[in-house]
Amino acid sequence: MKFIHFADAHLDSPFRGLSFLPSKEFNHIYQAADQSLTKIVDLALSEKVDLVLVAGDTFDSSQPSPRAQLFFAEQIKRLTDAKIQVVMIFGNHDHMKQEDLLVSPSPYFKLLGSNEIVEKATFTTANGYNYDVVGFSYLNNHITEDKIPEFPKKGQNYTFGLMHAQEKTTAASQNVYAPFTVKELQDLNYDYFALGHIHARNNLSTASWIVYPGNIQGRHINELGAKGCYLGEIDENSGKTTISFKETGPILWQAAKLELEAEINKADLQAKIIVVLAAKQKTYFSLTISGAQYLTAEERDLVQDADFWQTISQSLQFDSQLVDVRFVVNTSLKLNANDQQAFQTAKDELFTEKEFSKLVSDWQKKDPEAAKLAADPAFIAAVKNLTEVKLMSKLKGIKDETETN
Amino acid sequence: MRLKQIKIVNFGQFSNKTFDLPSDKINVFFGANEAGKSTTVAFIKQIMFGFHLRSNFSPFFEDYTPLAHVSPMGGSLVFATDDGEYELERLYAKGDKTKKGILTVKKDGQVVPENLFFDQIQNIGGAFYADSFIFNQEMLGQVSSLSQTDLLERIYYLGAADSSKLLELRDSFAKEAGKLFKKTGKKPEVNRLLKEMADKRDELTQTKNEFNDYEQLWQEFEQESTALKKQMQDLAVLQKQAQELQNLQKEMGNYQTLLDLQKQVKDVAFDSQNYQKAQDLMAQGRNLQKTIQKLEDQLQDLGESEQTDFAAEKKLIQQKPQLLQWQAEYRNCLQKVDQLEQEQKQLLALTPELQSLYNLTSEQLKQLQADYQALPSADTESQQAAATDNKIWYIIGGVLAVLGVIFLATFGTIGVIALITGLIFLAAGYVKNSNQTKQNAAILEKRKLIAQERRAFQTKYGLDSDTLNLNSVLTNLNQYQLKENAAQVNNEQINTINQDVAQLASNVQNALKQPVENDFSAVLVGLDELDNQVSQKQEMAQRRANLTTTVKQDQQDLKESGLQLKAIFAQANVKNMAEYDQLYQDFLAQTKLKTQIAALKASLGDDLERLKTQTNAAELTDQLSGLARRISNKTAEINDLQSQVAQLQVQLDNLADSTAVFKAKQDLANTETDFAQASEEYLANLLAAKWISRSLDLASNERFPKMLKAAKEYLTLLTGGRYVEIELAKKLTVVRSDGKKREVKYLSRGTAEQLYFALKLAFVEQIKDEINLPILIDDSFVNFDDQRIGYIDQLLQKISENNQVLIFTAQHSLVDKLGIKPLTFTKGTQDA
Repeated sequence: MKFIHFADAHLDSPFRGLSFLPSKEFNHIYQAADQSLTKIVDLALSEKVDLVLVAGDTFDSSQPSPRAQLFFAEQIKRLTDAKIQVVMIFGNHDHMKQEDLLVSPSPYFKLLGSNEIVEKATFTTANGYNYDVVGFSYLNNHITEDKIPEFPKKGQNYTFGLMHAQEKTTAASQNVYAPFTVKELQDLNYDYFALGHIHARNNLSTASWIVYPGNIQGRHINELGAKGCYLGEIDENSGKTTISFKETGPILWQAAKLELEAEINKADLQAKIIVVLAAKQKTYFSLTISGAQYLTAEERDLVQDADFWQTISQSLQFDSQLVDVRFVVNTSLKLNANDQQAFQTAKDELFTEKEFSKLVSDWQKKDPEAAKLAADPAFIAAVKNLTEVKLMSKLKGIKDETETN
Repeated sequence: MRLKQIKIVNFGQFSNKTFDLPSDKINVFFGANEAGKSTTVAFIKQIMFGFHLRSNFSPFFEDYTPLAHVSPMGGSLVFATDDGEYELERLYAKGDKTKKGILTVKKDGQVVPENLFFDQIQNIGGAFYADSFIFNQEMLGQVSSLSQTDLLERIYYLGAADSSKLLELRDSFAKEAGKLFKKTGKKPEVNRLLKEMADKRDELTQTKNEFNDYEQLWQEFEQESTALKKQMQDLAVLQKQAQELQNLQKEMGNYQTLLDLQKQVKDVAFDSQNYQKAQDLMAQGRNLQKTIQKLEDQLQDLGESEQTDFAAEKKLIQQKPQLLQWQAEYRNCLQKVDQLEQEQKQLLALTPELQSLYNLTSEQLKQLQADYQALPSADTESQQAAATDNKIWYIIGGVLAVLGVIFLATFGTIGVIALITGLIFLAAGYVKNSNQTKQNAAILEKRKLIAQERRAFQTKYGLDSDTLNLNSVLTNLNQYQLKENAAQVNNEQINTINQDVAQLASNVQNALKQPVENDFSAVLVGLDELDNQVSQKQEMAQRRANLTTTVKQDQQDLKESGLQLKAIFAQANVKNMAEYDQLYQDFLAQTKLKTQIAALKASLGDDLERLKTQTNAAELTDQLSGLARRISNKTAEINDLQSQVAQLQVQLDNLADSTAVFKAKQDLANTETDFAQASEEYLANLLAAKWISRSLDLASNERFPKMLKAAKEYLTLLTGGRYVEIELAKKLTVVRSDGKKREVKYLSRGTAEQLYFALKLAFVEQIKDEINLPILIDDSFVNFDDQRIGYIDQLLQKISENNQVLIFTAQHSLVDKLGIKPLTFTKGTQDA
């Protein structure tokens, strides 16, 4: 028996951090998730899989656009027409009612566990192999209770778990996506737990499989690397499962790093950047320049200018794009010991969570997006990094001035 | 650092005025208004930091030009410090390059580099001193504009190296941050993006309704489609009704025709079989009549028979074989004549002697024979003759034998005869031949003798005895005469035949009644002709007989058919065929009528029943026009519905193809990205500023927090506990003991001044380790009531523990309160 497991298609979801891109590029972006899903369906058809598991967040919201709905319905129809069983659940983004789903009814399409009630469904492959799929769908955007106790014991059949959920963390505020522990899942001893929600591909367990396939298309700089689905094959005699990742996302997000060890002129800098941004497919690059202190203020402004990114992108293969540049300062400045100490102590004090939350308090009250950013470690890190870069570059200026004086 | 002596050479209204200060703690200067108190304060500040001769703005007492008239201006100050006594003398004389005056610093009477003094006060400038150590009405009034920055700068100045640059940097960061975001504001980028984000979110929410729209549209679409279908069905029903009515209308005509036709229907008794029979009989009769007529004509043509008995002619005709027999015989006879003549000629040719002998009589021939017998024979000739004769025998014998064999096969008897004859000849030949040989020898011997005799013989008879073979000649002669006789018989036969033929010819001529030549062919022709004539006449007779019989039969048939016809006519109740034909035509017409009626009925079909009841054409027209109106109304409704459905379809299609949600999301995401970037920028600036501040705090041993703490204590002291907290951010705020916050601008003047004192004194207190200079208070308690003066007294007492305090006042009450003997400004020593 063969199956495909994918999750977090997030159809119609936007890409982030690309406001500067030309509009034609947005057509690629716009089609990227669709293309990825189409490829997954192509794969299912060409591999003649028996089952496709859709582990939630197919749509970006509980009110998906008709276009996205119709597109998805069309793709599912391709599968059901080929008598491929599709089992789908809703996630925290597409917590919709089953009747709002435009997929045409088919014996080969099953929306599992509506109304957040854990449901077990039994199917038989064309070859007569029986298997169970157990799971539930979101009806609201948050599920705070642990759903695992509601999952039935594994029966005779090969058993799939299908769940859109996040591992339990210490921060209670984050335990709102059907929090579970790996041990709980392992104790259930299902053959394959198909998870969704976390956009990074990750196998929590390989003994009995517990798998996050990641999303099908990276959408911003924090969703790096190849995106697609898992193709699984079950030895019907032994019940052993082997899985392989299949890349389907047409646009790859990738981090690149350029290390500077000395001051550099603009032309060389540009050439070096192009070399670092070698693409094997259409790629959106996030470039980190370490040793940024070697750049002049003018160069820093240049390199952070979106127009410059576009210029660079024109020299990249596969229509790739440079979409993000970050600086890292890799040496500290030599202030006098007292001042140095003061700055370090101040940094230690201010760069704490508590102090940061004081810093952002006015700003974050303004908008939920600001509040979200204020709680986002990546954003916090970025702010701190930028602060450091800014300050260090300025202090370097003072130092230089002082020295020349 | 304590000020011991103020020595004015020329400054303002003062010349040569010296004050010796009695106390290291509080000194009081008393003088009326305009007595020179502020001038003295300015003097102290300017001696230390330079004359202020510029005309630009200064917060206090320096905005006048006291230097015009006297020279040199200036004076000196004497400070006592832990490591000795400093005298600062500053003088300005006309023509000096620097308008700040020339400073001379002496330590314990010795001129020293000025930084020896200034290092001890951290090289601060005049502004720093004025801001930090001097209090007057004007400055107290500025309490509301007191900011952290001002205070901090002074403090940090004492901490980190390049603190002013760091402060500048911090300010530029703070300024940048301020440009990017303000707590209340619309223009800064972050604020702008916040607004934009909210807008975009609204847009997205609206766009997201697409799906609801879609579902709603779909429902509408379904409803409208159903309605449309229903209307179409209704229309179809109406159209069918109309069609039926139209058909009915059309069929009204047909129905009328039907009725007319039905009126014409009548019963016609007609048996088509009989009619056919009658027609056949009629035709038969006509044919019979025609046949009879024809036969009679033929009989007429044949005429009456002349002769019935043809016996004589037949007898003649029967002689035809006889005639042919005669003809054959005749031909044989003629042939025989020729043959005999030919044989005679041959005999003559073979035996020319026959000519000579022919006319001899039998006695003469006997003589001859005797004569010849007497003659010796000539061998050669006889030999030759014999030889010749022998050969002939053989030949004839052979030929006959062969013929005999041939004939034997064909003719039997004749063959046998011929064969025997042949064999005889052959035998005879053989015999002759053997005789010949014996004879020859004898002949040869006698040859010579004989020759003579022979010649004589020849003469007598004219016959050459040498050549003559008399026997042969005689034989031949015999032969010849036989032929002669045969010819005679033959000729007689010919004559007989000729006579018979002539007789027959004559008979034939009589029978034919036409001349017939007396020869075989003519007679034969005649006979044939006669035979022909007889046959023809006999045939005619036969035909006539036949015709007559036929006519009779036909006439009988005619009669019978006439009877049958009459019977049929009677049956059909008609007199004759013409009537019968008319009856038939009537029958046909009725049949056609019935067919038409049937066809009409068939075409009217089910409508027939309706037509029987529906007879009013006008009513029908009304109904039709009514229906037409309904159809047109229905069509209009359908058109409306169709256009609605089409519109809905387009809307649905648009929504199905719409990327609006994605676009709205992407727009929002882009704005959010911009917002995140701007915010990052803002927060980084903010954090950088804070970082610098904090670093400076740390570098300056956290003087500021400590100062703030002291200021709070002082304020609490000065306000008798009414105010307990100072918040020093961009704006200065105080917190009352009941927890209520007050901005400075809402405080009473007195309280505001108390706050100012609290802050400034706390500051001075804070920096005392680094900078310890006298505090100059110039007429600053005018707004203080007694109680407040009491409080400030307490505070000044405390402060003066560390810093020397110089109080300049015109208030007696204050002097009394302080209980210190004041220094006074006496007239006369002033500006002369």
